[in-house]
Amino acid sequence: MSSVHVAAPDLSEGNVRLGTAAMTVQQGAGLVGLIGLVASTVIGLGGMFGVTPTFFMKSWTQNYLFVLSISLGALFFVFIQHLTRAGWSTTVRRPAEVIAANLKWAWVGLIPFALLWLSGGGHAEGGDHAHAHGGWGPGALFPWADLEAMKAHHPDEYKVVKAKTAYLNSTFFWIRAVVYVTFWGIASTWFLRTSMAQDATGDVRITQRMQKMAAPTAILFGITITFAAFDWIMSLSPAWFSTMFGVYFFCGCCTCGFATMIIAVLRIQSMGRLQGVVNREHYQDLGKLLFAFGMVFWAYIGFSQYMLIWYANIPEETGWFLARQIGGWGTVSFVLLFGHFVVPFVALISKWTKRMSWYLTGAAVWMLFFGWFDLYWLVMPVIPEDAMTAKTYMEVVEANADEPTHLFNPLNFTMLAGVGGTFLWMTIRRMRQTTLLAVRDPRLHEGLAFENQ
Amino acid sequence: MTTFETPTPTVDPAKTAETPKLHGLLAEFETPGDVLKAAEKVREAGYRWWDCCTPFPVHGLDGAMGIKPTILPVMVFFAGFTGLMTAFILQAFTNSSGMSVWALVWVTGYPYLISGKPLLSIPAFIPVMFELTILFSALTCVFGMFGMNGLPRLYHPLLANDRFRRVTDDRFYIVIEARDPKFFQSRTEAFLDSIGAVAVEEVED
Repeated sequence: MSSVHVAAPDLSEGNVRLGTAAMTVQQGAGLVGLIGLVASTVIGLGGMFGVTPTFFMKSWTQNYLFVLSISLGALFFVFIQHLTRAGWSTTVRRPAEVIAANLKWAWVGLIPFALLWLSGGGHAEGGDHAHAHGGWGPGALFPWADLEAMKAHHPDEYKVVKAKTAYLNSTFFWIRAVVYVTFWGIASTWFLRTSMAQDATGDVRITQRMQKMAAPTAILFGITITFAAFDWIMSLSPAWFSTMFGVYFFCGCCTCGFATMIIAVLRIQSMGRLQGVVNREHYQDLGKLLFAFGMVFWAYIGFSQYMLIWYANIPEETGWFLARQIGGWGTVSFVLLFGHFVVPFVALISKWTKRMSWYLTGAAVWMLFFGWFDLYWLVMPVIPEDAMTAKTYMEVVEANADEPTHLFNPLNFTMLAGVGGTFLWMTIRRMRQTTLLAVRDPRLHEGLAFENQ
Repeated sequence: MTTFETPTPTVDPAKTAETPKLHGLLAEFETPGDVLKAAEKVREAGYRWWDCCTPFPVHGLDGAMGIKPTILPVMVFFAGFTGLMTAFILQAFTNSSGMSVWALVWVTGYPYLISGKPLLSIPAFIPVMFELTILFSALTCVFGMFGMNGLPRLYHPLLANDRFRRVTDDRFYIVIEARDPKFFQSRTEAFLDSIGAVAVEEVED
């Protein structure tokens, strides 16, 4: 299609509104979500399948971060398009805005954390082994939140973590958490509402306002997701530190966000919406973004983080990677490396692969799964207690040779179904309330006529 | 002293200037839409040695001209792979093997233990492997593009044409070269007129 041959697109209600098309999917997702959440709660509280409070809370954290990173990736997409004044993306920006707007409910994910604090109070009685190993309380998830227990059971780690209490304390943790979710909620809702206001008026000044707001949003987005990654993933192993961690989580956000966007847009099109609006030129660019951020940049950051720690070989740094090499985790790490980078890199490097909808859908589903898998790899492993005191590497490896990954524990499936289903239900519900296209965006004609080359 | 005397020209220089060799025919179009439609017709007429010149990229022109996808990406991929393997073999040989090979002179690998790492440590090799992959790919991409486009080329017959100067401003051109097997001046000229050219002009070599 050439710019001079573009026919006027069909902007009628039937083409830009979801209507009743995805009703079954929405209801199904809601039902799966509800069942999943109830089942997870039963499993977690009942301690079935060997699920400890720690494992239950980690599973919640991982799946919450999974849907959070989908929305954060979509929010990144929205403001980066305004920041660069992009024309090509006008045809696919609305689904991203809708997915990002789920961040309005990001605070809900913190409720289980709050319940932990309410249930445990943050301090273990002296000598209460059961509390530190298997009881409820903030220490079940965040070891730094229960310093007394840590002092009693992990004295070496305690010495390191004690020096971090100015940052890692309950009060400051909660202040930060509230700041993050508030900012994400306000920013994403503002972008969706402002863009929807333009649907009615077509005012160019609305676009200018969004462009102006994109810059401060970008700065605050960078800061909040970096510290959120520190707080909610890195502090699970409080003695460990990596300044690159925020960027790594950002790559994860891009993986999940872009993959979900691709799936969403392709599904919307297969339901007969956005016909003649989104075409393979847009698929190719979305595919490029997924390729660049989800695979190449992820591998680049992941390896940079790994190599510096591997080369320096300092015990308090290597422990975190050691935890991901012992027992079953070694296999998981290799599956992650090949599944998140090597295989999709080769599979999606060519131009034609990104222009075929079925192929791109497959790649996006694959990457979305590995976005989830990456978070499992980040959240679940526990640094072996002897990592800092053992004489040799092999000593730790042999002592922990049967370290389980719990990858096939039923809780993983129920929790993913619960959180993922609820998220999907929420997204489709919101999509139904808006148009699927920023119909009066002043750059829409650019997006419609867009062509790679 | 007569050794350096200029030889008598076999062709009269004045005569050659009057009948220069024809490079091709230049057809001018006013809009991108016109040149796009014309390009389709030129392709359908079966010409092979021809090109379109426009002030900006006209979307769809490649398709209209029937240009096949370039082989450059494939070359870049294999160049990148070569770079990757070169870096790996180079490091594995120099750092972790005691082998001797002949490469103009005899070269011997020198296994050297660095901070207790295994001699063959992939993580330490990856930065170099990454860099050489990029280097080989980038050089192949740039020089492959130059080579396939016949660059650098300092002169082109079209550059001497006054009408062609508007190609950087607001006019669109199709050039059919005289070496095309289907080229026959009067017929090609009529053909270019018939597909919407506002002017057709001879371009001299």
